[in-house]
Amino acid sequence: MDSDTPSCLFSLDKENISYQDTTILKNVTLEINQGEKVGLIGPSGAGKTTLLRTLYQRVSEQSAFVHQHYALVPQLSVFHNVYVGRLDRNTTSQNLINLVYPREQVRQEIFPILDSLGIKEKSFVRVGELSGGEMQRVAVARAIYRQESILLADEPVSSIDPHQAGAVLELINQVAETVVMSLHAVELALKYAERIIGLHNGEIQFDLSAEEVTPVILKELYQQS
Amino acid sequence: MLKTSLTFVGIAFIAVVLADLEVSTQHPWLEMGRMVEGVFTPELSVIWEFKASLLNTAIFALCGTFLGVILGIGLAFFFQFLPVRLFCAFIRAIHEIFWAFIFLPIVGLNSICGVLAIAIPYAGIFAKVYAEIIQESDQQPLEGIPKDTHRLSRFFYGVLPVIYADTKHYTAYRFECALRSSAILGFIGLPTLGYHLETFFKEGMYSEVAALLIVFYFLIASLKYWLKPRLVPVYVVLAFALLSREISLSWENVARFFTYEILPWPMRRQGIHDGTYTVSFVLIPVLEWVKAIWLDEAWEGIWKTIVLTQIVLVGTGLFSLFVFPFACRHFAGKVTNRIWHYLLIIVRTTPEYILAYIFLTLWGPSMLPAVWAILLHNGAILAFLSSNNADLVQLRIDAPFKRIDRYFYEILPRVYGQFLAFLFYRWEVMMRESAILGILGIYTLGFYIHSAISDDQIDKAMLLILFTAILNMGIDSISQVVRRRLKISTKLSIAS
Amino acid sequence: MCFAVLSNYMRLLVLFLLFNSMLVLPVLGEFKFTAIPDQDTARLQQRFGKIADYLSGKLGIEVKYIPVKDYAGSVQSFKNNEVQLAWFGGLSGVKARLAVPGSVAIAQGAEDPYFMSYFIANVSTGLSFAEEFPKGIKGRTFTFGSKGSTSGRLMPELFIRQSFSQTPRDVFSRVGFSGDHSKTLALVQSGSYEVGAMNFKVWKKEVDAGRVDPAKVQVIWRTPAYPDYNWTIRGDVDETYGEGFIKKVQQALIDLQDRAILDAFPRARFIPADNSMFKPVLDTAIEVGIIRN
Repeated sequence: MDSDTPSCLFSLDKENISYQDTTILKNVTLEINQGEKVGLIGPSGAGKTTLLRTLYQRVSEQSAFVHQHYALVPQLSVFHNVYVGRLDRNTTSQNLINLVYPREQVRQEIFPILDSLGIKEKSFVRVGELSGGEMQRVAVARAIYRQESILLADEPVSSIDPHQAGAVLELINQVAETVVMSLHAVELALKYAERIIGLHNGEIQFDLSAEEVTPVILKELYQQS
Repeated sequence: MLKTSLTFVGIAFIAVVLADLEVSTQHPWLEMGRMVEGVFTPELSVIWEFKASLLNTAIFALCGTFLGVILGIGLAFFFQFLPVRLFCAFIRAIHEIFWAFIFLPIVGLNSICGVLAIAIPYAGIFAKVYAEIIQESDQQPLEGIPKDTHRLSRFFYGVLPVIYADTKHYTAYRFECALRSSAILGFIGLPTLGYHLETFFKEGMYSEVAALLIVFYFLIASLKYWLKPRLVPVYVVLAFALLSREISLSWENVARFFTYEILPWPMRRQGIHDGTYTVSFVLIPVLEWVKAIWLDEAWEGIWKTIVLTQIVLVGTGLFSLFVFPFACRHFAGKVTNRIWHYLLIIVRTTPEYILAYIFLTLWGPSMLPAVWAILLHNGAILAFLSSNNADLVQLRIDAPFKRIDRYFYEILPRVYGQFLAFLFYRWEVMMRESAILGILGIYTLGFYIHSAISDDQIDKAMLLILFTAILNMGIDSISQVVRRRLKISTKLSIAS
Repeated sequence: MCFAVLSNYMRLLVLFLLFNSMLVLPVLGEFKFTAIPDQDTARLQQRFGKIADYLSGKLGIEVKYIPVKDYAGSVQSFKNNEVQLAWFGGLSGVKARLAVPGSVAIAQGAEDPYFMSYFIANVSTGLSFAEEFPKGIKGRTFTFGSKGSTSGRLMPELFIRQSFSQTPRDVFSRVGFSGDHSKTLALVQSGSYEVGAMNFKVWKKEVDAGRVDPAKVQVIWRTPAYPDYNWTIRGDVDETYGEGFIKKVQQALIDLQDRAILDAFPRARFIPADNSMFKPVLDTAIEVGIIRN
């Protein structure tokens, strides 16, 4: 790793991190630079979510986050859920008016994102009425609408059809300069990330470029007890 | 759970021994016959004659609930602070009728008195329940909201949409309660339905009573057809518009109340005797005054209130455990279910004050009418709820066929926790009602408070109301401890 | 039934009720009074509407009747200046005049200077009429009328205390407050209470109406006479409605001849009164502890 580039975004140095008393990251050393597309893989409970959240806490000012469980407001429409992505940048009165009557400008900003994710016709449907895959797209759309250079995503396509998932990941890579995402599907990670970090039991097992990851390494990651 | 239940049954048993539960009328059935006759010959013309009181009942309830909601929301935001929680516990520990007694000398016997008497205690209730709803609501949506979002935006995007349905449901339920409160405020002289109900009861004009009760049931049963969220603002504006025409607030009265009338008698005594109406600050006589009221009245009132409450608490429990199977699909056929369902709704819709009035007429004065009135009203609510919960239970295909086995082995164990939680949740409500029914002549706190009001001794009434509130807050916190210890929650069923 | 239709119907009904209520709302600046008769409390608005009209005609201003539920309510309204004139019982009148300095008793019923209470007993008690105080009521169940009533509570309590040197709750096995005189009669007649005390005029009227069954209930004692009901007016009305207003109201009441109106009270006619006449009531109230000293 090239540690003296000025564009280093995160760095963890032999850190131990616990989150909600569940998974603990042990002795993690890691640096992520601007412009990287990183994929986190590993079996359930390996600490992917904890790592992502840790990264998010350090750079929340400049990053958007896609939650694994979407973190949407089921009672609000798709449109309003996406709008939530920029709540902190608008005045309170703008936000309140938007609840009742969305401005044309805001519509023009949000509709293309929904269009590119294939859920534009559902713009004013309550999120609670959507399917899991659709909700996940809304969560992605909200993160995109935030227009940050860093996008952290926790299993952003877990509920989306495999053949559509690629398009969503492609879009994520397009809109954000730096992307860190955890992915359950290894083949997607290998295809859409340039750098792959394998996590197991709270420890970094490997940290390689996508081309360097071999089936043997993967088998080792997922099969050890 | 069993141990706690049996302890309370034991306490109630002792209370029954101590209580005066005599039937003192010699011909209770005769009066009962006249009442039944009245039910079948309702004098419907009075509905038109007293339409203004019907309207007032609705207006007071609407304006009272609305103000209560606004104040309640405001308080709910600060509910994490102990002083706010105590304040809310205090204002809701005082029954609407007692609030009316308090506001009577301040604003006079008019609409504001009725609206405030509902709004103030309801604000305390709303604050508590709204805060609980927020606390127990889904927190996930909040995670998606950017960190630096303003509180208000955060609330409107991340909290309000999530809690809206529960809140709406509970508020609607409370509005129904407010209609009941509003109606019974008439019994002490406000211009609502209870005003005429009391008169007709007193004069034994049961056909007129029946007619007024029928409109009252109709008003409540029809709620779902006219109380649409969209129309609520219209109703509220109209209600306040009508209310505002009757408002006459005299600052002179307000000032006199707070700076003179609520002062303990010993402080005013000298001024009244020499005609100067000045106030003197005398500590020792004031303490003696408190002591005398405590010994002569408060002590007995508190004792009787507790005795009545404990009987009613257990009675309500036993009643609903006995009755709910009739309304539950696992024990009876559809027709029986329906009939009991409606019966329970009618009983719970009838304010306990009115039930007490009926039983008092039938059985004469003792604790008995009060016991049955509070027991039936709360028992109906609880039985209704328990049968709904029991209906949710899916029985195994090989569940016991005998109903008694089914009841004790399959249904009761599943619904008992919830049942107990709700029973204890209503403990404080029962105590408030026990105190209030003293107005009808049993020597609970309400009797002494009403006497003090009758004698125009507002200072004494305030002190007694203060004692009542403290007692209630005590029961409220004991109830919370018991529920926490038994690890039971009313979460599912706050709004029936 | 179709719910949509019903819901529309309800909406219409509500609007209609709203419309109607607008017609009966009060106008500010009227002269207001209240009155509670000693029996038959239903439909007061209609019955006392007539005297409002009468006074209106005599005084040349708008007069309105304000209904209240009990004496506590009427005293409170009087204190709050929600009513300027009130038909009080002896006791409530005393309380009101104490609370509102300057207020004066201006009239009373012709019967009121020599008012009486009757002690009545259920026949099952075996008590019968006597001239002297019936000591045999000790240990029985007993009901007063309203807590704030002169003839139903204050005076009977005075004589009970004087005879036994004990409070009623110590004398009787159970003490109740029926709320009004007719109810007292009904409760004693039905046996809910063995003994009760009530206004003698109500007793007579109930006897005339045939609602008293001598086989069940009888008068066992008549109290000595005392002054009772009165019209009391606030002292500040002269300022508001012009000098001599109190005199005008007093005259109007005394001149009242209309039987229908007088029957609402019910009194033969009204005669002048003044505050000093009620001194015995005040003294009694203080003695009994209803008014604090």
